Amino acid sequence: MKPYDIVIVGGGGAGLYAAMEAMKTNPSLNIAVLSKVYPNRSHTSAAQGGANAALGNKAKDDTVEMHIFDTIKGSDYLADQDAVDLLCSEAPKIIRELENMGTPWSRMEDNTIAQRPFGGAGRPRCCYCSDKTGHTILQTLYEQCLKKGVIFFNEYFALNLSVKGSRSRGLIAMNMKTGNVEAFSARTVILATGGYAKMYWNRSSNAAGNTGDGQAIAYRAGIPMKDMEFVQFHPTGLRKSGLLVTEGARGEGGYLINRNGERFMARYAKEKMELGPRDLVSRSLETEILEGRGFDSPAGKYLHLDLTHLGADLIKSRLPQIREMCMQFEGVDPIDEPIPVRPTAHYSMGGIDTDNFTRTIMEGVYAAGECACVSVHGANRLGGNSLLDILVFGRIAGHTAAEEAGKFEPGNISEAELKEHVEELRGGMHASGHHERYGELREELGQTLALNVGIFREASLLKRGIQDIAELKDRFKKVRVSDSSDVFNTNLMQVLELKNMLDLAETVAAGASAREESRGSHTRIDFPVRDDAKWHKHTLATQAKGKVVLGEKPVTMGRYELQERTY
Amino acid sequence: MTAPTDQHIEGTKDVTFRIFRFNPQVDSKPYFDDYTIPVERGVTVLRSLNYIKEHIDASISFRAFCQAGICGSCGMRVNGLSQLACTTQVWDVLAKSRESGIIKVEPLRNLPLIKDLIVDMDPLVDKMKHYSNWIDSTMPESSMGKKEFLISEAEFLRYDKATDCILCASCVSECSILRANKEYVSPAVLLKSYRMNVDSRDAIHGKRLAELVKDHGVWDCTHCYRCQESCVKSIPIMDAIHGIREDAIELRGMKDTSGSKHAEAFMSDIEKKGKLVEATLPIRTNGIVWTLQNLLPMAVKMIMKRRTPPPPPLVKSAKGIKIFREMFREMTEHVRQDHKSQKK
Amino acid sequence: MKRYAYYLSCINESMTKEVDCSIELWQKDLGIEFVKLHEGTCCGGSNLDYVSPKHFALVNGRNIALAEKMGLDLIVSCNTCLMTMRSAKKKLDETPELKKEVNEILKKEGLEYRGTSEVRHILWVLVDDVGLDTIRKKVKVPLKNYRIAPFYGCHILRPSTVLGHDNPVNPSSLDQLVEALGGQTIPFKHKNRCCGFHTLLVAEQESLNVAAEALQEAIQAKADFIVTPCPLCHTSLDGYQSKALKQAGEASSIPVFHISEMVGLALGYSAKQLGIKRHIVS
Repeated sequence: MKPYDIVIVGGGGAGLYAAMEAMKTNPSLNIAVLSKVYPNRSHTSAAQGGANAALGNKAKDDTVEMHIFDTIKGSDYLADQDAVDLLCSEAPKIIRELENMGTPWSRMEDNTIAQRPFGGAGRPRCCYCSDKTGHTILQTLYEQCLKKGVIFFNEYFALNLSVKGSRSRGLIAMNMKTGNVEAFSARTVILATGGYAKMYWNRSSNAAGNTGDGQAIAYRAGIPMKDMEFVQFHPTGLRKSGLLVTEGARGEGGYLINRNGERFMARYAKEKMELGPRDLVSRSLETEILEGRGFDSPAGKYLHLDLTHLGADLIKSRLPQIREMCMQFEGVDPIDEPIPVRPTAHYSMGGIDTDNFTRTIMEGVYAAGECACVSVHGANRLGGNSLLDILVFGRIAGHTAAEEAGKFEPGNISEAELKEHVEELRGGMHASGHHERYGELREELGQTLALNVGIFREASLLKRGIQDIAELKDRFKKVRVSDSSDVFNTNLMQVLELKNMLDLAETVAAGASAREESRGSHTRIDFPVRDDAKWHKHTLATQAKGKVVLGEKPVTMGRYELQERTY
Repeated sequence: MTAPTDQHIEGTKDVTFRIFRFNPQVDSKPYFDDYTIPVERGVTVLRSLNYIKEHIDASISFRAFCQAGICGSCGMRVNGLSQLACTTQVWDVLAKSRESGIIKVEPLRNLPLIKDLIVDMDPLVDKMKHYSNWIDSTMPESSMGKKEFLISEAEFLRYDKATDCILCASCVSECSILRANKEYVSPAVLLKSYRMNVDSRDAIHGKRLAELVKDHGVWDCTHCYRCQESCVKSIPIMDAIHGIREDAIELRGMKDTSGSKHAEAFMSDIEKKGKLVEATLPIRTNGIVWTLQNLLPMAVKMIMKRRTPPPPPLVKSAKGIKIFREMFREMTEHVRQDHKSQKK
Repeated sequence: MKRYAYYLSCINESMTKEVDCSIELWQKDLGIEFVKLHEGTCCGGSNLDYVSPKHFALVNGRNIALAEKMGLDLIVSCNTCLMTMRSAKKKLDETPELKKEVNEILKKEGLEYRGTSEVRHILWVLVDDVGLDTIRKKVKVPLKNYRIAPFYGCHILRPSTVLGHDNPVNPSSLDQLVEALGGQTIPFKHKNRCCGFHTLLVAEQESLNVAAEALQEAIQAKADFIVTPCPLCHTSLDGYQSKALKQAGEASSIPVFHISEMVGLALGYSAKQLGIKRHIVS
């Protein structure tokens, strides 16, 4: 097969923008997008809120500069300031570009793109389309890619980079429809596979497939992971599915109640009560559960988000989507009974270490979106900045790879190498000696992460977490794939996803254990304050001989000096 | 505030999932496997399938991704009705099951089967491409990113609901015409086409419409409303289909198709007689040659059975037709004014 | 004697005359009276609504206003007329500007659309107003040896936001009527499917395919006949039956009745009186 100039792994916002931009930059290039789901299924579609850009449509005095400051402050000063600069100054252009291509943004009275306030932002600068912003952006990008004739390999599961020396020769992937393992020889590869927060499994709001495939592929190829310990939690996920009950429910006057019938937020935020900042509310719920004031159920401990006192009329008129969601996913009508909730992992700040041009340390390999860590979110991402991140850096990745593809010799993956990958892939997993159930391992991984590497972290907990992960990795060696068919073997795919999560879980736990301070989403009970002297830096996790090796990287500063983060 | 309770008490029910199975590598034809599991209240069909896959039979194959009703992966037929497994509560389905305690789970219809509950979505993507289901912007690519189009809230509302579509293909699965001919454009693609056509930023309305009015296009829809009824996002898909037809006839004058002639015959008959002249509809829709070739034997039989009056057709005008005609024409004047002001 | 305004569907005036003949015969037996609306005009047959939405509102606003003037509900025996007029009513009731515009014109004829009359199907009148018990008592010739396939058609069920009488997934009113007349319904998967009528002249093969599928299910289930509340379904399933089944390679055939004829038979009228010999398939 003819080698590709660019192979893009992932068909979400970052991957699709990259494909489009690469074709725009150089239409003669041979570009392919691989995605394990049809691109329009990607998790970008789940982002409801919107994307930040200082358009000044709503607040005339909004500026890019203010957006930059809000982002840096929100990151607890761990974001690289030159990267944030880039993110925020590109924002207006990218939002307008999407608009020009057909994204159906909601509109202001003067017919410009509508904007609304969002947490942590000094001005209302979040551009949105009702509560389906990510969905409509993804649709637009997919449509434009179809228009441009982008070549898609849908339902291909990426397995590994083919590496020779310091550079990649392309990608190995499994065609789900046939089970065939295929080689994609390429000059450049862009990894854009999304986040890794699904490793918390039932304690995560993420799609089932947000298993960090791109990061794991890069990690196994020797590329460092940056700031993996930073995982954002949302205070009110549904008990069974982890899906988010958005802040609107508390905004309209919902109470958080423990098993003693107390509005426990009085203990943690006397004035703001249920409307305190997201991380504080998450920690409060977790404390209630840890101190035994949660409700018990087979699906785990939880608390109540009670809306019943608001009355049927208000719930129906103001919170119809939340009500529908509770009924569909939890079987609970919030008019009649309280909603069972608990904190849930929903975003991963860490990822593949890249520079501002999305380059990784490996020649010809780029990464963008939640998959990467530039870093623009630092220790804590602001709402409305995740969609922006995938768009801006997806675009940059496409442009950079298109410009640089000519620099690299085309890779050539040999038949022999492909065979090795096939062997490694299926070797033994169907054998009778393999008895470990992947569902169980996955569940246990989620449990130990939530308990020991979750919202509250502490040396002894982390130690246990690291041990658990090591044991799970050991048990994984005897994991069983009982579906032996080639066609659409989702059993095999889920086992391979679990392998990716196990590899990355190690880096999350290692980073959390090393970072002896509390910053942004990372809270150490034993080190409750931010320690700029020791820890104002990124962690880098690299795999060497199957073990995590931790390194570090300085934070790029700029106009803004370190300050205490208070709101 | 509710009284404190220690435990959320929830009963469970034993539910048998009767799952469609087919592995093209070994099976010559599909069959069903039964799996009985206890299901507590609040559990969705998808969670049950996950449970069965993890605990009983890992070889059951189905797609699932976001599990939150937004990605559209898990479209399947539950007790015969196409829907998302992730937004469907088991107990709700059970209450309506014809066979007590049994829930039948099958793949979507009208798309090629790959394995178990998985169907091939490529035909749908191919149709999206064929009917240019994208905005081809009036703005040249080189000028993009500099300034916004100004779009009124009224225009946004025209396509707002249509952009809810998650391409789950429930409508595709339920469509009566697709069942009869897989070449048919499909409800979802008509919906998307409509969404593009009412967007003022798009430059290729005409080209898209020209394709839509051809064979297997918008005129083949039989108004059965199954698409709309099954839409998991409650999108009024038929309004979109009608919108395309209205656009084709009224604004772009694409009247040279059998579908539009058929539709317009209603308008002229009503104006003239207040009644539809059914007997001559075939001729006016498809011309005399087609009618003679296709319907003559049947027409003779029908006339023999006195099902339709012998030609020339005698349809009595409705009573008071004169004043009716005046009113009808007055409305025609209103419509003309509307179009004038729209063009401005 | 309960009175209703009765809408004259175009198809019943030309191709399926037996429907109105049958109703004429038995209405008094069931204690109801249908007053024919001779001034009514064609509803637009689920086409006028997009050819010209405003004419659609005018024409059907007028049809309903005629019934309102008589102070009666408007009853139809055709699914598509039912759906069409109910959606026009919904649109008029929900859009005050449109209602105003329509009424401005209707003034000419001394009419006003107010939204006071319901548009209902004759099947609903039988099941809900006359009542199954009354019907049971009036039956003279129970259909007890018949296995009957109930074919509801589309526009009495969908869109459910406009119709709302039966559950569109699992409707029951027609089954109830059949049973009240002493007949036995068979499980019929196609009961809520499409007959293909509305594309007969545009995409004939597809339409015939759609019709053939329903016919074949009834034939294979050894039903004695199919019954439908809609003259359009009747035309598609009866008038086009031989063509549809030939295309599907099916040798058998099956009679199709409109509910008005089935009721007539059970109330003791002869096939001749009811005009059943006008059917293509006997």
